[in-house]
Amino acid sequence: MDADNTRSACLAAEPAEAANDPGRRDFLKGALRLAGGAYVFFAGGPLAEGEVPGEGYDWTEHRYAYLIDTEKCIGCGSCARACAAENDVPDGFFRTWIERYVVGVEGSHVDSPNGGKDGFPPVQVGFEATKSFFVPKLCNHCKETPCIQVCPVGASYRTKDGLVLVDGERCIGCAYCVQACPYGSRYLHPVKHTADKCTWCYHRVTKGLRPACVEVCPTGTRMFGDMKRENDPVRLAIEHERVSVLQGHLRTEPQTYYLHLDKEVR
Amino acid sequence: MEHARHVFRAVLVLVVALAAVSIGRGFLVPRSYGLHGPYRYDNVKEQMAVRAPRHGGAASCAPCHAEKAAKRTAGAHRNVSCEICHAPLSRHVAEGKRTEAMPIDRSYLLCARCHRKVLGRPEKFPQVALEQHLSEMGAGPAEGKVCLDCHDPHSPKP
Repeated sequence: MDADNTRSACLAAEPAEAANDPGRRDFLKGALRLAGGAYVFFAGGPLAEGEVPGEGYDWTEHRYAYLIDTEKCIGCGSCARACAAENDVPDGFFRTWIERYVVGVEGSHVDSPNGGKDGFPPVQVGFEATKSFFVPKLCNHCKETPCIQVCPVGASYRTKDGLVLVDGERCIGCAYCVQACPYGSRYLHPVKHTADKCTWCYHRVTKGLRPACVEVCPTGTRMFGDMKRENDPVRLAIEHERVSVLQGHLRTEPQTYYLHLDKEVR
Repeated sequence: MEHARHVFRAVLVLVVALAAVSIGRGFLVPRSYGLHGPYRYDNVKEQMAVRAPRHGGAASCAPCHAEKAAKRTAGAHRNVSCEICHAPLSRHVAEGKRTEAMPIDRSYLLCARCHRKVLGRPEKFPQVALEQHLSEMGAGPAEGKVCLDCHDPHSPKP
């Protein structure tokens, strides 16, 4: 009871005092609020700039998507070699790679020697293989991606045309994103010491070219498309075919879609 | 008068603090940060211009190599880009001028990357088990032989 009385007395006393003479405490309170307001007011205005990132390219007019038909892949590794040549990917690191799945009732075997860059050698497995296939992998450019969420410096971001990119200048190389990516799509660049990953060849696609891996794929396994373009083959396939994504249960909403994906593929 | 002095001091402290914050912020926050989200918007432009495209696509070879290009588009390798077996265009041509010879790989391994019979490839895809293929063709042992002895890479038999 005592405590309650004292509190109500304080509450009653304060406004009365403030009305007569603003004490030091109230003055400082007000000043701090003013300062906060001023800070927000001044901080809210970064330099205004044009909408268009580059000459002749409007990123609001595109939303890219990638489609992989695993039934067509022959495991030649041309894509991984082209990617390395196009993007200066250091040896032993991969922006895209190919996995081979050899599956039987008794077991399964997955390999990806040098990311599939040199093709695939014959393989012996200790069970009776009933099916085998190749699965190309790359960054899924997820809509709800954990890699951006964990970046402490705003180096990873998603563009308006639907890519996840890494700002090498902002990146401090903490590798949180490398850990966060459930697809293993990122690596720490051994020379630059910043996170690196597939960009869907942003320097090509913004010029109307296809990513290097799609450009060289001899079987049409890899397809690149624009969801904002009508009659785009990739858009039509995603809209009308039975497509799936890797690790859909994680709800990362990948924008790299797969046709004819097997349950063994993670 | 006492109050006025206090007010003046407090305002001075505030003004100095505000100035320090806004100047510090100007140095620490990149120019285009926050324009479209919590990232440096200038990086989008940097990524677009990170380098000139290196792969030109199969069509870029035809102006100089019309004969080979026509042969390729007529044959079973019509979907096999020149740059798969040779190298990216940028290694060979810069600003419309020839810079360096394109590598020509005549080894068995080049063909083997696609056509060696291994687990994983689709069954319909033409695959070769070398020893078996040579004995079927009556071509003798594999030593010293390459696919290109018999096959034309620009237009192999289907």
